[in-house]
Amino acid sequence: MQRVTVTPRDDWKTTAAEHGFNFHSIDGDPYWDESAFYQFTLEQIENDLEDPVEELESLCFSVVERAIADEEVLERLAIPEAYWGYVTDSWKYQEKNFYGRMDFSYSGTGPAKLLEYNADTPTALYESSIFQWVWLEQAIERGLIPDSCDQFNSLHERIVEALSKFGIDGSFHLACASGSEEDHGTIAYLEDCARQAGLETRLMEIEAIGIDGDGRFTDQADLIIEWLFKLYPWEWLFAEEFAKNIPKSGTHFIEPAWKIILSNKGLLPLLWEMHEGHPNLLPAYFEGDPAAAALGDTFVRKPLYSREGQNIELQRNGNSEIPHPGDYGSEGHILQAYHPLPLFDGNYPMAGCWLIASQPAGMCIREDTTFVTGDDARFIPHVILD
Amino acid sequence: MKRSKSIGLVAMSASVIALTACEEPAVDAAVFETLSQCLANGDVDRAQCEADFKAAKEQHAKVAPKYTSQTDCEADFGAQQCETAPYQTQSGGSVFMPLMMGYMMGSMLSGRTGAASQPLYRSKDDRNSFRTADNKKVGNTIGRTQVARSSTRAPSMKTSTVSRGGFGARARSFGSVAG
Repeated sequence: MQRVTVTPRDDWKTTAAEHGFNFHSIDGDPYWDESAFYQFTLEQIENDLEDPVEELESLCFSVVERAIADEEVLERLAIPEAYWGYVTDSWKYQEKNFYGRMDFSYSGTGPAKLLEYNADTPTALYESSIFQWVWLEQAIERGLIPDSCDQFNSLHERIVEALSKFGIDGSFHLACASGSEEDHGTIAYLEDCARQAGLETRLMEIEAIGIDGDGRFTDQADLIIEWLFKLYPWEWLFAEEFAKNIPKSGTHFIEPAWKIILSNKGLLPLLWEMHEGHPNLLPAYFEGDPAAAALGDTFVRKPLYSREGQNIELQRNGNSEIPHPGDYGSEGHILQAYHPLPLFDGNYPMAGCWLIASQPAGMCIREDTTFVTGDDARFIPHVILD
Repeated sequence: MKRSKSIGLVAMSASVIALTACEEPAVDAAVFETLSQCLANGDVDRAQCEADFKAAKEQHAKVAPKYTSQTDCEADFGAQQCETAPYQTQSGGSVFMPLMMGYMMGSMLSGRTGAASQPLYRSKDDRNSFRTADNKKVGNTIGRTQVARSSTRAPSMKTSTVSRGGFGARARSFGSVAG
């Protein structure tokens, strides 16, 4: 694994516009950054990332199995009791899941360490699947990188295939909260994929969801929402006014409700408890667990529910740092061993490995200048080159 | 190779959409205003006429556009062109929907199952054309005809929304969901 600087395509912004990539800069700063790429060997990708991702997914399923059979686990994960039945039913009825992203600290040597699993509402999907792919093809074509470069990225093909297998009939609704260009870009891309899978689609904002006299969810045109991809976290849905209507709404949700068990940072201590010593796991404990003393005075403290790296705190030798402050943490915390991200030319890259229908399908590298990857981290493309 | 062999965008990309816009395939269908009109048509099996009419009639109340006021319904479908739907709002008010003006048969003509029979409507602004419950135009030909494949999809179920805005509060305080 190495970081290689490269000449950006002089027309990349035009290319971005042509491909509908409208969130390549955040507040004027580049989010998409092709002034460098990360280079991996095929062995690093297959042995150190792809295979572990597949194995970790099966360990995650063992955690779901345990949680649905044990109310104490659901309580520790701070899942509202009113929805325990709904969550466990979604697993028992084998509701299909669609996607997720496991984030690793990986330096090229030694095992990749799972930092967290964005199993419910990961973003950076479009740029991983499409724009990173377009960069590779054009960079090869223009002689910026060697001809034999490849990329860990079969996302687009897998997404279209997975969406075609949900058994969706009628309309497929896709919703996100208003106001975020990145979120809208993500559902616009998935809508495009869904159309390629032969589905009839309707985009909407989560605020526009209505309810009819029979408790069914409706869209802005009064159509009943039968299938809904929601780029909106389950723990938020469960906390809001219409939550009580979810179980009897008849709506099929993607992701299914059991994903709330995996998108929760409480997954990490549960994985460690059940598979202690696994090379891809870091020691982790629920806050307050006496066993957490094993971490000493240097560890990372994460809210059970948190996004964009917010409220993640590093305790180092008794000193506290919170690079991205926020409003998360009211549901509780977990403590995880501190495993620093590797440092390449002053940047901390995090390897995000994508799963589509629980199969490893691609990777994105995001760089931050702090040890916690936040929403302002830059997206750096990668290549496989032996 | 560990990457997709190709990627294509049908809607997001400015260049591809022009190539696909005019290419929607047409499929065989048959359109009738009434059951008797279908029975009198020698081209179509009489038993199929009855079965498909019954199926369309049964779907009508589920898939027709719904309104909580007769005025709103008539604004879209014309005076005397609406009826009361067999539903009520949560507060007990009436729900209105347009009259069924015909039906479209599909499945028996292509010799395979899939395209179900469905009710048809006529909007106030375009009385000459039939439209599906999802407002897709299917022309004005009675009897056997060809229609765009997308208009033969099963129509979506329509209802009357009694309340909105019950989701989204957390996004207002936390911002993007980006994980």
